[in-house]
Amino acid sequence: MAATADKTVIEGLIKQNGTTIGAVLGRGSVGVAEEGPDGKMHATVRIPMDELIFEPRVLVMPHGGDLELEIINDDNNSHCAVLPNNGDAKFIWLVNFSKGTASLNLDGPGYYWYGSRTGNDEGGGLTGTIVVGGEVPDEAKLDRPPQPRP
Amino acid sequence: MATETEYVDAGAAVDFRILSPGLAGSAPPVAKGVNYDRILNARDAEPHNWITYYGAYNGQRYSSLDQINTSNVKGLTPAWVFQCGSVGMHSGASTYSLEASPLVVDGIMYVTGFDGWIWALDAKTGQELWRYHRASPYDVRLCCGNVNRGCAVAHGLVFMTTLNAHVIALDATTGQLVWDQTYGDVRAGESATVAPLIVKDMVIVGSSGGEFGVRGHADAFKLETGERVWRCYMIPAPGEPGSETWPADGEAWARGGANCWTTPTFDPDLNLLYFNTGNPCPDFDGGVREGDNLFTNCVVAVDPDSGQIKGHYQYTPHDVWDYDSTMENILFEMDGRKCSGHFDKNGYFFVLDRTDCSLIRVVPFVDRITWGEIDASGKVTPRVFPDEEGVPVHFWPGPAGAKEWTHACYSPKTGLFYCPVQDVGATATRRRREFKESIPYWGAGVAVDTEDVSGYLSAIDPATGQERWRFRNQFPMTASVLATGGDLVFAGDPAGIYRAFNASSGDLLWDFNCGSGHHSSPSTYTVDGRQYIACPVGYGAWTEGFFPGALAAPGGSAIYAFALPE
Repeated sequence: MAATADKTVIEGLIKQNGTTIGAVLGRGSVGVAEEGPDGKMHATVRIPMDELIFEPRVLVMPHGGDLELEIINDDNNSHCAVLPNNGDAKFIWLVNFSKGTASLNLDGPGYYWYGSRTGNDEGGGLTGTIVVGGEVPDEAKLDRPPQPRP
Repeated sequence: MATETEYVDAGAAVDFRILSPGLAGSAPPVAKGVNYDRILNARDAEPHNWITYYGAYNGQRYSSLDQINTSNVKGLTPAWVFQCGSVGMHSGASTYSLEASPLVVDGIMYVTGFDGWIWALDAKTGQELWRYHRASPYDVRLCCGNVNRGCAVAHGLVFMTTLNAHVIALDATTGQLVWDQTYGDVRAGESATVAPLIVKDMVIVGSSGGEFGVRGHADAFKLETGERVWRCYMIPAPGEPGSETWPADGEAWARGGANCWTTPTFDPDLNLLYFNTGNPCPDFDGGVREGDNLFTNCVVAVDPDSGQIKGHYQYTPHDVWDYDSTMENILFEMDGRKCSGHFDKNGYFFVLDRTDCSLIRVVPFVDRITWGEIDASGKVTPRVFPDEEGVPVHFWPGPAGAKEWTHACYSPKTGLFYCPVQDVGATATRRRREFKESIPYWGAGVAVDTEDVSGYLSAIDPATGQERWRFRNQFPMTASVLATGGDLVFAGDPAGIYRAFNASSGDLLWDFNCGSGHHSSPSTYTVDGRQYIACPVGYGAWTEGFFPGALAAPGGSAIYAFALPE
């Protein structure tokens, strides 16, 4: 049986050179993409100085569709992003203090990882999550009574 | 005083593929002329191609090509290799493998990989012409690895299914998306791995998810538009024919399984699709689903025009061993009768009259069968099964079966079937559990044997049921086999060895170490008069089920094209 982690250990999971060398994946802030009048969703993620994370670390799309993503590198190091997208991944190189965009199309529900594939940015914490909510279309669902879910 | 950051313009993210130096970007329009008539006559009219999943609707996985034959196969060498990997974290990150059957149309190969990949390759050189990569949710429920079994081609389009249960159509010259239909519910535990089949003006697919308590189904869509034509459930609803084989009370039928996750065969004269259905759910706990549980573990004959079930034969009634019957039903003629041959997970080889799905012959094809017995009349007598809660029960074959989904073949030249056999047992301990959508619904804990396992390639005469020859292998045979007019049978094994045998005698004539295990369906074709054997390798997927002793086998993925020296 393991003892409960104290606050220092927990907080050290989401920073560089804290509990471990980098920032543990899947922990941190959550943002939600906003749907525009064109039906596309919009969001911004940033790479804060010396944190080696995407902020927010989890970006939620309320449903499947198109996402217009702005990516800002506020770090004084170069990074990049390989982003999930139907058809082919999208790639953007992000030199120190740069910003760019990515047009993505993703199915929902489900979640996807993306990351900076230079060096081991990904393992250090520069791995983000795009969570797509929603349900599949009614015509795709099983014809059966509603079933219990966890 | 703070100053506003002046950012460098990083521009817009680009398609990752443009950073691949060997990628041509487009393919010649060879698929434009592929239609139903061409697929009907695929084997006789264009043996140089492999334009549908099994090479032909009959599922024989036989090619009349004979440039590579018993006299020269010893000179076979790789002509080219196409390798594929992954970037970043993807679903089933530890379980991917190549399981597809490469299609070839007039020198262009279309082949799918794990994690939503599909490529068009120059079949003569292996050059990548275009690629499409479907983004797959990391959390999609996959019982048996991140895999895909292939594509279909017609009318200038290429069709594939996606892990999150879509069927998509791509432009065969560019790889660009043309249409996209969702046909399964990932929140219910559904997914898709099947290679589509073109029949008439439709693309036919089936669902995966048999370990998650779904209700299996096949679906048909208009190939030009993606418009839904029909859905055929493989578990009858209350009141429908077959529903009497499920408990009258409760909703066991609604969670009953019977997924069809391998491609059906098709008889155009009888106008019948022969679907192959999977296990009932929960896999090992029959107490919550008393009865035969139709149409699980069946061949189900379906009218392709209406989607209506016209007949069936159940190979393992009330299955409690996970004996899916999803493996192919190979169509062949014998003594003037229209027959089908099927090697089942349960260890028996069935020959049916495919006009009415009646039994002609049933014989065992693996040495160790302890779960029960099927007599010559087809009567099934279960003997060993997980029945008592918490009590381990060992049985042969294990849940991967004496033959997994990987396909047998039939040579009309020798009149023999060739079957990749797995002689592997397992122990199941029944553990009853509540059903919840998206949670595995096995009803047991299962451990597959890692010792005292083996495999063989068997040649079996359907006229007698007798084994003509056997190649014994140290490991289970877990890949589809291929027969050719060169009197050869090709078979791969988990250690990566690809072999060619004399189809009549079983003599081993050639082998090559591909460096990673075989779990795919090789095909053969010619370009500019040179015959090639296309062989995807890359081990993984449900290894813990069919051969856990190979869980640490080399996992690199590649497509080899073998040919004789020029």
